[in-house]
Amino acid sequence: MTAPAPRRALPLLLWLALALLAVWQITRTSFNADLGAFMPAAPDARQRLLIEQIHSGAPARTLLMGIEGGSAAARAQASRELAAALRASGLFDQVHNGDQAGFADFGPWLLEHRYLLSPAVTPQRFTPDGLREAIAEATSLLGTPAGQAIKPLLDRDPSGETQRIAESLIPARAPRMEAGVWVGRQQPRALLMATLHAAGADIDAQAAALAAVHQAFAPMAARGLVLQVSGAPVFAVDSRARIEGEVHRLAIAGALVVGTLLLLTFASLPAMAVAALPVASGVLGGIVAVSLGFGSVHGMTLGFGTTLIGESVDYAIYYLIQSRRDAQGGGGWQAWVRHSWPTVRLGLWTSVCGFAALLFSGFPGLAQLGVFSVAGLVTAALTTRWVLPALMPDGARGSGLNRHLGQAARAAITRLPRLRPLVLGLGAAALLLLWQRGDLWHADLASLSPVPRAALALDEQLRADLTASDGGTLVVVQGPDVETTLQRAEAAATRLETLVDSGRIGGFDSATRFVPSLATQRQRLAALPDGAALQSALHQATQGGPLPAARLAPFVADVERARQAQPLTPATLQGSPAAPLVAALLLRRPDGSASALLPVQPSGPASGGAVDTAAVAAALQGLPDAQVLDIGLELRTLYSRYLQEAQWQALLGAAGVVVLMALWLRSGRRLLAVVQPLALAVLLSIGVLAAFGVPLGILHLVGLLLVVAVGSNYALFFDMLRQGHGPGAPRSGRTRPAPRGGSSPVAAPHGLDSDDTLASLLLANLTTVASFGILALSGIPVLAAIGQVVALGALLALLLSACFAAPPPAAPAAMTENRAL
Amino acid sequence: MPRPDRRSLLLALLAAATGPARAQAFDLPALMQRLARRKAGEARFTEERIVSGFDSPLTASGVLSFAAPDRFARHTLQPVKESMEVQGRTLLLRRGGRTRQMEMDALPEVGALLEAMRATLTGDLALLRKHFATELSGDEGRWILRLKPLDERLARQLLQIELVGQAADVRSIAMQLTGGDRSLMLLEPLGPLGPSGTAATPR
Repeated sequence: MTAPAPRRALPLLLWLALALLAVWQITRTSFNADLGAFMPAAPDARQRLLIEQIHSGAPARTLLMGIEGGSAAARAQASRELAAALRASGLFDQVHNGDQAGFADFGPWLLEHRYLLSPAVTPQRFTPDGLREAIAEATSLLGTPAGQAIKPLLDRDPSGETQRIAESLIPARAPRMEAGVWVGRQQPRALLMATLHAAGADIDAQAAALAAVHQAFAPMAARGLVLQVSGAPVFAVDSRARIEGEVHRLAIAGALVVGTLLLLTFASLPAMAVAALPVASGVLGGIVAVSLGFGSVHGMTLGFGTTLIGESVDYAIYYLIQSRRDAQGGGGWQAWVRHSWPTVRLGLWTSVCGFAALLFSGFPGLAQLGVFSVAGLVTAALTTRWVLPALMPDGARGSGLNRHLGQAARAAITRLPRLRPLVLGLGAAALLLLWQRGDLWHADLASLSPVPRAALALDEQLRADLTASDGGTLVVVQGPDVETTLQRAEAAATRLETLVDSGRIGGFDSATRFVPSLATQRQRLAALPDGAALQSALHQATQGGPLPAARLAPFVADVERARQAQPLTPATLQGSPAAPLVAALLLRRPDGSASALLPVQPSGPASGGAVDTAAVAAALQGLPDAQVLDIGLELRTLYSRYLQEAQWQALLGAAGVVVLMALWLRSGRRLLAVVQPLALAVLLSIGVLAAFGVPLGILHLVGLLLVVAVGSNYALFFDMLRQGHGPGAPRSGRTRPAPRGGSSPVAAPHGLDSDDTLASLLLANLTTVASFGILALSGIPVLAAIGQVVALGALLALLLSACFAAPPPAAPAAMTENRAL
Repeated sequence: MPRPDRRSLLLALLAAATGPARAQAFDLPALMQRLARRKAGEARFTEERIVSGFDSPLTASGVLSFAAPDRFARHTLQPVKESMEVQGRTLLLRRGGRTRQMEMDALPEVGALLEAMRATLTGDLALLRKHFATELSGDEGRWILRLKPLDERLARQLLQIELVGQAADVRSIAMQLTGGDRSLMLLEPLGPLGPSGTAATPR
């Protein structure tokens, strides 16, 4: 008797068509790797600012560079050459290396607009007393090296407005200067900082700019100097490349190991090829679903996708082994569809249920993982159900190792239940350990970043030398339009100035130093006296002083010219040397609203390098549109919220899995037998990680979901074995297995013998553990995290499922023991 | 153009200050050791700066103070009140009611002179040699310490600093710029003298 041949053509054609469509869609998909995907999608106003900053703020576009090797003079020379080349490239908004040459056109710009920009311009300033005091102050540095730059300006600017503006621009924290360029305080190296013109999210442009940097440095590298580059753009570009490379590497290694295992088992190349189909289809399906749903695919989702190999290859293994025909001609794809498919389908549902919880995450990155997993698993299962029977209706014919696997599994299974007390004891110990160490989940947002430790260390060093803090503290001022925003920023700046005076903060930056509000500029213009009044005031002010009024005709002329000047606006600033500075500190949105950023610098060494955020917040009391943003703190808060949300979702997913299985099994005892090993596997996995002091993060959580998803298949198969396959009458694949808990354990009919099932389980587990084990070795922390959890958890899930299952039907005596549970 | 001769000023000062010199080992480390023994001190200063293009010298006066290991302050009282306070590498500048904090080593033009004064007053030889080539002449009763900047950029502006002292007191600081501008600061100690002097601490 032979089973009817499956309708081969239709499913195959359909599959082929869908696969082609999927490939077409993937070619149109863009892949990205920015951390922004792991920021909330529907943020509040504060988070929106934070995300704006992370995506496109100056820190996201800033390169930190160090030049090492050679002599100090050679490094200084290289610093000047590199800075000049980068400025000329047009790829950068700002290039700083400490060299005054970088500000060659900034000085004249300040000088020209000094009466609009200097906060000292008030009517009092141009009285005889005001002028006398101003002149005394302006000349106080003459005769010292610091006065050299001032001297040539005195005739035009005796009241020292340019000095006054320059003084306000000196940062509280700045790199050390030697031979006219920035150098390291800790290491002998020259330092540069450059802000890319390209947006923070434009990784291609960032890669191009980085290539330009290295190209510009090539002649200096030939002289034996070494360039170090760090900063967010480097991380973004490297991460993308690393993730791409790693995903390829892992996929190939995983495919090789899994392929070898399959080949050993089936001793058949066609079988191996067929086993790969659900995997490939699943990955395609996952990418397409994410691409359609989100517009682009995050690199990490893709990395995670390779892990799906672990679960989806299981489906193929179940099918290929379990659908084999026995000597009596039993088995075949129909028998498999009848007996095993419902279990596989239930396993699929539980997995989908687990991952579906992630779909509702407020964080696009996490939601992507959910969509990818659900779509990938469903595709893999559908491929197994419809395409594999068309290709191999009688399963895999070869019989390499799987006899031995089955026998080994059976032998193990009769012994494993003896370990139950030990396992329960370990579970209790794990609980105790977790209880003791309350803060297991302390991995931070950085743990999501694929940046290797060494790169982070270099980044930290360069930042310390450049005194460019990573997160930093900002005062953010918002307004419905630019003018209101600038006025509010001026109000906030006045408050911050009191903190500088009292030494609570070191200093701060503000766009209003380059483009004050129109109101302020008009006040300053109105304070400028006419020529005659100025002449007479000047005459009195210079009496008996070192600077004769006769020399100061250029001053009078300049003030007269300034009286006719138009106020500066962000628009008229375009193309001026101040434009990039303003662009970094004043964000203008398409709807006309604006945010001014006032980065706050910490006070002297006594402050420990941190800004007293509370003092800043207190100083801003009463300014409703100004708030303090501590970027590091905000990110940590965001991450812990994110983790909390994910934990709830994981619990929800787990609860969903249990409910689903309860509905299906309709027996508390069977449910317990299935859930118990899963719960213990999760518990022991966390326990082992905790024992090794691994800080747990969001990816571990996702890994645990995967353990439940994969492990539920094992547990359900053991349940199936324990139930036998019903009374033997053929049942349609659509009927659920009768919830006949106590039915007599009979030998499996239709040739689906339990050795085959055991062999398939063991093989499925081996491939899962192998593929996740490879992932655990990944250099990318996030992938390694998932690998560690799932390899360990899946192994435990199988062992514990076996441990808590009754021995298979061949040894009915053990059933009583099972009941005792 | 009448220019007060810095040398004659110095000589007059030194003549008044010096007694008969004792012949004993007198080198920079010994001098610095001696200076380092004083943990704090305060002196009134008067400063004259001769700047090309100005008919008369620019004058200023005020108080200098220092406290080991790394504090130094210059409070100018005339003609306008302003102050520079140094602690560690942080420089606090106060003028006209405004405060600016900055890092000294980021501003060699300002920092070098302050470092020369602070390092000499606190007897910090290592710090002095980090920034300057040193040359000591005279004896304990009347010594002259010449400092030339090591930083090539600074050397383009600052020719040398000359500190003249008597025993553990610095009596004058003269600075010569490359363009011909120069300044002379005369010091008159206020704080208690002596090796273990607990001079009035700067505020």
